[in-house]
Amino acid sequence: MDERSDNDLVQASCQGDRTAYAGLVGRHYGEVFLVCLGVLANVHDAEDVAQDAMIKGFERIRQLRQGSQFGGWVIAIARNLSVNLLRGRRSAQKTLGIEPVSHEHPGESDHEDLQWAVAQLPWDLRLPLVMYYFDGQNVKAVAEKLEISTSGVYQKLRTAVKELHDILTTQGDTP
Amino acid sequence: MNRPCPDRRDTIVDYMLGALDARQAEALREHLAECSTCREYLASIRQQSESLIDLGCQIGSGTAARQERVIDALQEIAPAKSRTRLTLPFFSGVLKTAVAAVLVLAAGITIGRWTAPRPVDVEQLRADVESSILASLAPAVREKALAQVDQRLLTALSENDAKLRADLGRQVHEDLCLLAAQSRADSEELVRMKFGELVDLIEAARSTDRQQVAKALDQIRTQTGRGLYTLAVRANDSTADLRN
Repeated sequence: MDERSDNDLVQASCQGDRTAYAGLVGRHYGEVFLVCLGVLANVHDAEDVAQDAMIKGFERIRQLRQGSQFGGWVIAIARNLSVNLLRGRRSAQKTLGIEPVSHEHPGESDHEDLQWAVAQLPWDLRLPLVMYYFDGQNVKAVAEKLEISTSGVYQKLRTAVKELHDILTTQGDTP
Repeated sequence: MNRPCPDRRDTIVDYMLGALDARQAEALREHLAECSTCREYLASIRQQSESLIDLGCQIGSGTAARQERVIDALQEIAPAKSRTRLTLPFFSGVLKTAVAAVLVLAAGITIGRWTAPRPVDVEQLRADVESSILASLAPAVREKALAQVDQRLLTALSENDAKLRADLGRQVHEDLCLLAAQSRADSEELVRMKFGELVDLIEAARSTDRQQVAKALDQIRTQTGRGLYTLAVRANDSTADLRN
């Protein structure tokens, strides 16, 4: 693990140092991936978009004014790419008159049930839920990353937990 | 499962999330001690939360491999250029807008100087430029500057158009006068020339007449002479005969 600060790694990356940027990838990729997963609710899509976000970060790193802000900056890139992909798909489906593709309910294991139920949530509720539970971030950290208030995060988490429980309960009651 | 008390549901979720203060938490615990459905709901969402954490761990187990793939993909990407460039997006945008506004104003001033009917008011011009540059930080001012340039162009074009019409009318008038004068002079010259030709013809006719009269007189004179001669000869002959 590179011990240098984000600011130092960003400065080195601006000089074309791929090793330095690899250090930034190692430090922030996990969060970037989870943000993509939180929006897209699909691991493969999230992997693709997270990779695109990290590459765009490398290509545009000279636009970053403060190296210490790299984490929030690249997460914002990832979130925008994910939301754009989601909207593009919905727009295409609407234009073509195709019903939105619902994630197939696997019904194999508890985790698959849960993953399916999480995918049924709106993305703006799913994203804080994934950051809070999957990444173990506290509410304050989630609020900073999403640039909303802590009370806003609590409200979204509360709604997400209730809706998720309702989905799982209804699905469990279904014969 | 049985539903929890509707008015406690949010509080139970907040309790699980740790969002309640001590007093609220104590009040809920007292309720939970008496309400089995709410206890059951709390246990269920706690189980759900643990499952979410497990799912996150399961998905997160592939993070290292994903990172490696990203780093491999980065090797094929052109690196950021080595030249460190100070990038100030906001000021860069403002600078571009200001430069564009100055260029537009400069073009407007240049056109205005070319076409303005009176000397440019330098103080007014400087005030205009300063205010326009300051205001150019907002895009709306750029549109205003363009509108001003358009107005100046239209004014200049209308003034030039009026002047051009006046010049054209004056030129046409002068050309018509000149043409009329030339036509009159040409007519007089033509009349004079034709009159001369007529005089020449008359003179020629008179000369011919005189020659013919003279010739006729000569013939008359000749014939008269011959007759007198013949008469004289005959008279002489008659006289001679008489004498004989």
